[in-house]
Amino acid sequence: MNLTLTPNKSAASPDTAANAPRRRRLTRLPRRGSMAVGLVIVTVLLVVAVGSMFWTPYDPDASGVGLPYQPPSAEHWFGTDRVGADVFSRTMAAAATDVGITLAAVLIALVVGTVVGAVSGFVGGAVDTVVMRFMEILQAFPALLLAMLMVAAVGPGTLNVIVVVSIVGIPNYVRLVRAEILSKKHWQFAEAARMVGNSRSRVLFRHLLPNSMTPVIGFSSVNASWVAVIVASLGFIGLGIEPGSAEWGSMISRGQDSILSGEWWISTFPGIAILVLSAAFYLIGDGLTESGEQR
Amino acid sequence: MSALFGRSRSVLSRLVGALVVVLGVVTLTFFLARVVSPDPTNLYVSPQADQATRDQVRAMMGLDKPVLEQYVTYLGQLVRGDLGTSFSTGQPVRDDLLSRLPATLELATYSLIIGTLVGVVVGIVGAVRRGGILDHTGRFVTVAGLALPQFFVGLMLLWIFFVVLGIAPGPVGRLPVGLVDPPQTTGFVVIDALLSGQWAVAGAALQQLALPLITLAFAIFAPIARTVRTAMLEALDADYVRTATAMGLPQRTIHYRYALKNVLLPVLTMLAGVIGFAFSGAVLVEGVFAWPGIGQYALDAIQQSDFAAIQGFVLYAAVLYVVVYLLLDLLYARVDPRVRL
Repeated sequence: MNLTLTPNKSAASPDTAANAPRRRRLTRLPRRGSMAVGLVIVTVLLVVAVGSMFWTPYDPDASGVGLPYQPPSAEHWFGTDRVGADVFSRTMAAAATDVGITLAAVLIALVVGTVVGAVSGFVGGAVDTVVMRFMEILQAFPALLLAMLMVAAVGPGTLNVIVVVSIVGIPNYVRLVRAEILSKKHWQFAEAARMVGNSRSRVLFRHLLPNSMTPVIGFSSVNASWVAVIVASLGFIGLGIEPGSAEWGSMISRGQDSILSGEWWISTFPGIAILVLSAAFYLIGDGLTESGEQR
Repeated sequence: MSALFGRSRSVLSRLVGALVVVLGVVTLTFFLARVVSPDPTNLYVSPQADQATRDQVRAMMGLDKPVLEQYVTYLGQLVRGDLGTSFSTGQPVRDDLLSRLPATLELATYSLIIGTLVGVVVGIVGAVRRGGILDHTGRFVTVAGLALPQFFVGLMLLWIFFVVLGIAPGPVGRLPVGLVDPPQTTGFVVIDALLSGQWAVAGAALQQLALPLITLAFAIFAPIARTVRTAMLEALDADYVRTATAMGLPQRTIHYRYALKNVLLPVLTMLAGVIGFAFSGAVLVEGVFAWPGIGQYALDAIQQSDFAAIQGFVLYAAVLYVVVYLLLDLLYARVDPRVRL
């Protein structure tokens, strides 16, 4: 009697289905709960981001709206930094930068990665080999370093950062979508679509792809959580968006030396903002992946 | 016999694939570097230098030749083990990397051990006690570990333990100012100091290590804990666990003898990624703590457009990446009889 000899995935499927309702009831509530929390946070941050374009307590880019190094007070909720800029206004304004760049980069990576991965997996052969080798080359770089190198190559600027960060993320999508397409390529619905005379591209984009997107969407939200951190890291190093403009990572960098002399508030609030944004995306992605698996 | 032959052939094709990846990384970096700075002579000569001096420097560095020829020359040097000379340190890049490697290895090794152990324990406890307080706490900390930038964690730790509580030393590298490195045998300062009986130095080195170690270990812990929890939950949901429960086997046996084995594979995969990340110098952790490792070296190199140094570092990271994943594949085949190479 050796129980360990049968961890067979394919044989597990019929029985897991019978097993699922029990598990679903157990896990659904907290999952849905954390997903809802994530969605609410992202929505709030989006509102703040858009709102900051119309109103902030002080001009976020102006220095000297208060004395330098003022701790949080009724006047300056998050205090002021070394040039006397209002940290609260800057944290608000930076939401537009960080949330915007993160969403745009993930969207580009999602679209490009999905198309490339789908075509690569569907066409196969030499195209597939070349594409996958190239993706492996990109992944052999330490991610942050690749981003730093590319930003150095194309120069700073919001648009450049978006493109660079999305390129770093693309291999993940390519691999994921390709694997999905490969596993479903010969399923009945695909064969049926082919047999009734659909063109190859129609089979791929109208039949196979829509049936492969669930895990990709879930992953894109987990990926967004990572992208938010990478964007902030680039800002922290001082590569990326224009120096001086409000971005959470570069705000932390501006307060880095002050922390050692005790002025904690300059770096802490933007850091918490990154945590909140990134965690929110992660919770959404986690929930999406989970519900996708249970379907 | 034929199985053995087939296996060594597929290992060979993996090796070729790995070489292709390394070559691709080297090539991409070379041309990216050319885009960043088409004419690095400006980094070497003063702005006032006349054209003759510039031409001379260009010729000396081989920059007067066509880019493709430079590329071939560069590859030739690489094959001979010559990574070029860093202009900011004036040393051969290979020597620079080798002298900074021990600092990175020391930090990464301890962090990997601690981060992985804590991650595995938290993941297992979370899965076994699903929905309990421990599980919720573990999940909360895990999400924080995934969502917090490491440089921010490092800064907050510095603020709390160095500035406010005053129980940790400041970010000045591996040893406090004024202490001399112990004689080098392993390259790990703490161990070297112990070996030579310098207890005070070992203690000081441990104190310097504490905060960067916690920072890096936290970043390693989070993905491991998440992977272990998910894999363990899946295993606990499987048929053989239900069968074992129905047969009346003790919970302990089921959890730790049967379910745990199936957690090994996903954890190995995650570990491969984490090892690559830690050993290629967690750039920003080293940056925040002024840790003199290769991550810090790469950061400086990028900020000073020191291309030989960047290319050398990227080559190291790429080789590390392919070696780790090659080992992972071999290990996979060893651990899981269903996997064939």
